[in-house]
Amino acid sequence: MGVVDAPQVIVAGSREEAVSAFGDGSDVTVVAGGTIVMPEITHGRLSPRRALLIGRAGLSGVRSEQGRTTIGATTTIAELEDAAEPLGACARGLADVEIRGQATLGGNLCAPPGDESPRGDLQAALLALDAEVHSTGAGGERTEPVEDFLAAGPDGRLVLDVAFADPQAGASAAVRRPHAHAYTIMRVCAARVGGELRVAVSGAGPTAVRSRAVESAVADGADSAAAAERVLDDVAPHDDALASSWYRGRTLPVLVRRALDDLR
Amino acid sequence: MRLTVNGTEHEVVAPPLTTLLHVLREELFVTSPKAGCQQGGCGACTVLVDGEPRRACLIPLAAVEGAAIATVEGLGEADELSGVQAAFHEHYAAQCGFCTSGFVMAAQALVVRGDGAIEREEVIEALSGHLCRCTGYVKIVDAVTAAVRSEVTTGSPA
Amino acid sequence: MKAVGARLPRYDGIAHVTGRTQYVDDVRVHGTLWCKALRSPHHSALILSIDTTKARALPGVHAIVTHEDVPHNVYGHLEGLGVPADEPLLAEGDVRWKGQPIAAVAAESEEIAQAAVDAIEVRFEQREPILDIRTAADPDAGEHFHQWGAIYPHFGPHNHRRVRKGDVEAAFDAADVIVEGVYRPQAIEHCPLETQVSLVVPEPSGRLTIYSCTQAMYFSMGVVAAHLEWPLNKLKFVGGTVGGGFGGKVDTATETICALLAIQARRPVKWRFTREEEFLTSSTRAPWHIEIRDAVTKDGWILGRRMLTLHDAGGYARFSPYGLTKHAFHHTGAYTIPNLRFDGFVLFTNRVPTTAMRGFGVTSVSLATELHLSRVAEQLGMNPLELRLKNANRVGDTTGNRVVMHDPSTVVVTLAAADAAGYELGEDYRAMTSERRSGDLLPEHLVAQQAPDGEHLATYRATNGGAR
Repeated sequence: MGVVDAPQVIVAGSREEAVSAFGDGSDVTVVAGGTIVMPEITHGRLSPRRALLIGRAGLSGVRSEQGRTTIGATTTIAELEDAAEPLGACARGLADVEIRGQATLGGNLCAPPGDESPRGDLQAALLALDAEVHSTGAGGERTEPVEDFLAAGPDGRLVLDVAFADPQAGASAAVRRPHAHAYTIMRVCAARVGGELRVAVSGAGPTAVRSRAVESAVADGADSAAAAERVLDDVAPHDDALASSWYRGRTLPVLVRRALDDLR
Repeated sequence: MRLTVNGTEHEVVAPPLTTLLHVLREELFVTSPKAGCQQGGCGACTVLVDGEPRRACLIPLAAVEGAAIATVEGLGEADELSGVQAAFHEHYAAQCGFCTSGFVMAAQALVVRGDGAIEREEVIEALSGHLCRCTGYVKIVDAVTAAVRSEVTTGSPA
Repeated sequence: MKAVGARLPRYDGIAHVTGRTQYVDDVRVHGTLWCKALRSPHHSALILSIDTTKARALPGVHAIVTHEDVPHNVYGHLEGLGVPADEPLLAEGDVRWKGQPIAAVAAESEEIAQAAVDAIEVRFEQREPILDIRTAADPDAGEHFHQWGAIYPHFGPHNHRRVRKGDVEAAFDAADVIVEGVYRPQAIEHCPLETQVSLVVPEPSGRLTIYSCTQAMYFSMGVVAAHLEWPLNKLKFVGGTVGGGFGGKVDTATETICALLAIQARRPVKWRFTREEEFLTSSTRAPWHIEIRDAVTKDGWILGRRMLTLHDAGGYARFSPYGLTKHAFHHTGAYTIPNLRFDGFVLFTNRVPTTAMRGFGVTSVSLATELHLSRVAEQLGMNPLELRLKNANRVGDTTGNRVVMHDPSTVVVTLAAADAAGYELGEDYRAMTSERRSGDLLPEHLVAQQAPDGEHLATYRATNGGAR
């Protein structure tokens, strides 16, 4: 037995091939843009036995028909920079030019919690947009609300596409670290979908979180500032290398207020 | 696996999950892209893949089979520098030089995109994935802004 | 003088922009093996045993070294400056910082080298780590891990760097206000774009060619020669372009270990730090704890200064005593303070050993003294630049170490800065110069410290006696 087992690498040439090779996801590492997975492999923290490259499986593209937008899983972040707000703002604020050109929507949705690094920037937008995730895995293909997908976790699922009804309005506000080594520390997304307000936060926990407390407060007639204070009912900001929990806790209500104000 | 680098086609033998950076540096001896962090965070490994700036340390070889890779080595030589290279040299935009290759390729992508009216802030935004510990960035931004404006408007080096 | 003031191209500019500059990691030598190190997972622990058997058995492993393979393991980089040796190249008996190298492997690939490192078995007995310089020397802190105790003891007969001048007690008695401050600049990682790296090539002649990223070639050559107990002429160092150093590439972090592996393997060996290794295990600028108390008059004279500095050397001394010495020399900043009591201590903690970084020892004290002066100005209700101009070094003033100022720039630079910033200054302050103190600028308390006029210019009359 060699010290290092060479992994089996499958470059899926079609959606069918990707779905079939993924199977129930039990013994396969999916590589889309590679921005999250490749450093793990390079540094020996992840040694896949089977690696499934889906970048050329025809899973990318943005389709808009009859008030509904469908985005393929391997669509790059760069291709989403002009997407409906707040998704567009999330995409534009994600890392830098080169990363946006490589990273994918699916990878971002399935991102493991960032250990001292920003992850899942698009998740808050998808929550605010009440998006649905269409995935395959054990039991075959299924479609579910993004909130359920995030709660269950991505293990065992291969995202195929994400879809949402075009929003009536969308807005966001963020704390960004600009210039050299740009990234978004924390972002609040708000959208009005089917007459309903939805508010979500990324960068204040392992995955993005929806804030029903803010939504209810607005529904009950609270103004932006008062409603914004309620966000800390749903979000427990953490400490990491990007920001302290104190800083997150202080800025989060401000971001919520700004997003709500911009939405009106 | 076939890979075209700076216009020359190569048959590479590295395993398919090997990073493009490793293939370029260790198999093809194209050493201008650097291993600064191997996590995509520093920008020193940036090359052009089919004209787009990308982190070579994040790309598995199998994902770029058949693609055209461009690195600094293909831009110009000492006796005939490209516009971007000349601008970096004129503006003293390199000190230790380790980050330079990545910045130059990112700048080249901007030139190719062709926005002669580019603003300094846009240049800074476009270069925001690149770290430099020596220069403090000002001269790099000067060089790239000059290169993009000049190259596009006059078609010749700054 | 054609070059001064001329706009000359960088001699390495063309190479940089054409991607041709050769850094150590760009050098290709046939048959090169990769090095990986086994590093301590603990801040502080005894090493009970090291077993490399399983690691040696892995295919593709060509060499493994531990402290047993180092001819001269404990060598002090600054022995020539009176800093005795305390740091082993490879850990022997105990580990004193998380990340300290214990063993190193040379193998056919990085993956195999890392697998071999993972297969080395080390038994530890952990000790309670000491991580805070403020309490490191407390008597109830328990036994300290360093053989010299918590405090570096080799400043001549003292265990601290001292500056004593004038009568600081009298100054504090005479003061209108005492201004206190504590300043704690923290560790800074150099973070060069090029990580630590070296490539050692054994030559057929028996010499070693060492491609090194060191900032200090002859210095590193001496370190390697000392550890190997080799004459200098058996080593050939090839330097060149360093991909950023800033003081962090003077520690000779990789060269000696690669050399030992190359000798054992009879193959070239390269060790390139990962970015994690660079952040977590390469040396940093030291953290400092600085307490300043100034005795000050209502009208802004600083009569005296009491200062305590604690410098965190990390697990070993390295260059810390030198850094503290420079710090002590500059502890009054660009200002003339006649009565001084400075005590500076180098302390050992279980942190990564600290090293030089731009302005080594002086940046910390500059930060502290300048912040403190601003604090003094604030407490006196005085213009902070005017306070500085008043107390600025002038010709004939003496420093804490009794060095006589001949051409101090404090006044000139402060006025230029004020101009550039559009900062309002009183007329008499605008008119100030660096010339020798007199009149209002020479109060009683500054007379004793002032060197006699022209003392620095000596004359002599030669005798003809004894001419050959």
